[in-house]
Amino acid sequence: MYRANICIFGYGNHGKFIARGLSDEDFNITIVESDKEFYKNAKNDGFSNVYLLDVTNDEDIKKLTLTDDTQLVCVMDDEHLNVFLTLSLRSLYPDIYILSISDSINVTKKLKMAGANKVIDLYEVSANKIYNILDRPVATGLLEEFVLNKKGITFKEMVIPKGSFLHGKMVDEIDFSSFGILLVGMIDEEMGHSFVFITAGIEHKLDSGDTMVCIGYADKLKEFEKLITQTDIN
Amino acid sequence: MREKLLAFALLLHSSKRYQNYKTFIRGILFDDTNKFKKFFDISIIFLVITSVFILIYEVNHTVPVWLDNYDIFVVSFIFAIEYILRLWVHNDIAEMIYKEYNDALFLKKEFDIYSVIKKGLKQKLQYMITPSAIVDLLAILPAYRPLRILRVFILFRVFKLLRYTKSINQFVDVLVTKKFELLTLLFLLLFIVFTSGMAIYILEANKNPNINSLFDGLYWAIVTISTVGYGDISPVTEVGRAISILIIISGIAMISFVTSVIVSAFSERLSELKEYRIIERLNKKEKFMIICGYGQLTKMFFRQQRFDIGDYVILDNDIEQVNKATKDGYLAINESASSFQSLSKFNYQNTHITVLALTSDDVENIYITLNAKSLSRKIKVVARVNNPDNINKFNSAGADELLMPNLIANTMIYTAITQPTMYKAMHAILTGKSLANIDEVHVHNSHGLIGRTIEEIDFKEHKLLFIGVKREGDFIFNPKGDFIIEAYDVMLVMGKKISIEYFKSLHEGKSYV
Repeated sequence: MYRANICIFGYGNHGKFIARGLSDEDFNITIVESDKEFYKNAKNDGFSNVYLLDVTNDEDIKKLTLTDDTQLVCVMDDEHLNVFLTLSLRSLYPDIYILSISDSINVTKKLKMAGANKVIDLYEVSANKIYNILDRPVATGLLEEFVLNKKGITFKEMVIPKGSFLHGKMVDEIDFSSFGILLVGMIDEEMGHSFVFITAGIEHKLDSGDTMVCIGYADKLKEFEKLITQTDIN
Repeated sequence: MREKLLAFALLLHSSKRYQNYKTFIRGILFDDTNKFKKFFDISIIFLVITSVFILIYEVNHTVPVWLDNYDIFVVSFIFAIEYILRLWVHNDIAEMIYKEYNDALFLKKEFDIYSVIKKGLKQKLQYMITPSAIVDLLAILPAYRPLRILRVFILFRVFKLLRYTKSINQFVDVLVTKKFELLTLLFLLLFIVFTSGMAIYILEANKNPNINSLFDGLYWAIVTISTVGYGDISPVTEVGRAISILIIISGIAMISFVTSVIVSAFSERLSELKEYRIIERLNKKEKFMIICGYGQLTKMFFRQQRFDIGDYVILDNDIEQVNKATKDGYLAINESASSFQSLSKFNYQNTHITVLALTSDDVENIYITLNAKSLSRKIKVVARVNNPDNINKFNSAGADELLMPNLIANTMIYTAITQPTMYKAMHAILTGKSLANIDEVHVHNSHGLIGRTIEEIDFKEHKLLFIGVKREGDFIFNPKGDFIIEAYDVMLVMGKKISIEYFKSLHEGKSYV
């Protein structure tokens, strides 16, 4: 489901972290910066597709020749620049997916108006985390570990491939535990394109094309992902 | 004699019983958390009220003998005992002797017991001349019958009640800050009263039938300057009237001056008094939160309102931020959370305090953490870390939980790119907006689940997904069916909020033996 082409605007506080995280996985990363220092950092960190250009200039951005399946991530350190960039990108590429970061309540609104598909509000997510820490400290700590950790216990989403042995089975029929993993939730395409947690009390039928989110040790998850491509496991 | 005194003092000092009694009495008299103090206070207040009531009743009625006796013997007797006890626990002469004696032994110098006793008695005397001690003493005096005039001293018993109000102390405190201005005005007032009083006496003593002594002159001056003007004494000569005009004008000026000084003193201290009230109220609660800094994050925190956070107070050392917070309808005071004095105002020994260090400055946050932890390890600190390089410092400062806004946002973006479906789930869980929750079940030592296996606890039946157990710092993922739950395990489960709450309530506190 995810797009293989990622273009990150900004290699500052956020861009650096995201780019490094993504570089471990199979993504085609392009980095755009307007600051010389950050540009150099990106180069030194081993990224090959790094461009130094003036992001306020539409002509310069056009030169990037972005395709519609590229996911754009606007994480410039300067929030004004970030809003402006989101706006220019939207006007240049009406159908492209744009993800922006916001570090204040007012900017979130502006970014949405500027046409970002998804805005992540730094303070909103942090404020929510405070509630989580106060309410359930252990669970919060573990969850964070699961998300960040790539080798230990982690979450993984996988699409049921065509002809998989899972196709047509009810969720209750499959003992996920025996594969060393747990099914957390899924997008059941039959029931609309929204994520449903497994504990919602609905009987799900697994079909090819459904997306499952599982939790478990990374190696077990990988094994399972391979396994579900088979038509029969017995 | 010396030896006997010394032996007696050492005996008292080493006597556990004596010390216990003294601590007990001290607790009743001074310690607000002592459970007997409340009863003691109420009885004293009752005695004061009844005795004053008798005094008022006596003006026009004959008081029955038993009431009179009650007034003399019971009330005065109890007050006398209270007075003596207060004097007794004020300091500990026996301990002073013990210390001095040991020091003298150590230094091999001569030990003079009388000088130590003198020092101790001097401290007692110093206590006796404090206002509250004098009030206590005057409240006992009416028991001495032959002095009929002393009956009025019963009114001093009312002053004993002042001990139970903190506002009078605050009032005095405020006036003390304007000591210089008020004293200057007082001297000016005395000067005018004396000169004009003497002038009217000299000028009119022989012409005015109402002025017969210097006291009449002074009385007239006070009545006139205060603009009360009874009119029982009024000047009859031209010069006398001229003096009246002068002191009336100066009286108006002076009164408005005094009023403005007191008002300004109060308005200067108003915020401080308000803060004091806020802190006092919080200190009576079982638990509360101290939120440091009213910045973007704090604002967002309040805006989210996921659940009732209970009692809290915002501390910010920037008065503008405090005003903003107050305007937004939150409880905020202008204090620096990194100052030891500010935090020690809170009742950190008897309440559960959670400190949220949310300022945008790491140095400040570390300082707040250290400050809170140095006051008491019991204070829980959630600290915001802006620069990840400082994580180690926060950990060694003792922060219980760290909050890294950048990391959280970055993780969210990262998840949104790599696992969009997962992102939705994560976002839903993080913001608490979804039907599903990942929550923890703390197995305390009388929990109903202790000793049961995973198989026995039918999670599916409860519409829950059991993810694993955290035991002694390790997380055990999806343990097998024969895994036994132990005390102090933390179970990680996922499910609808109501399912989790129901599951928790089902096993909370029940033990299947």
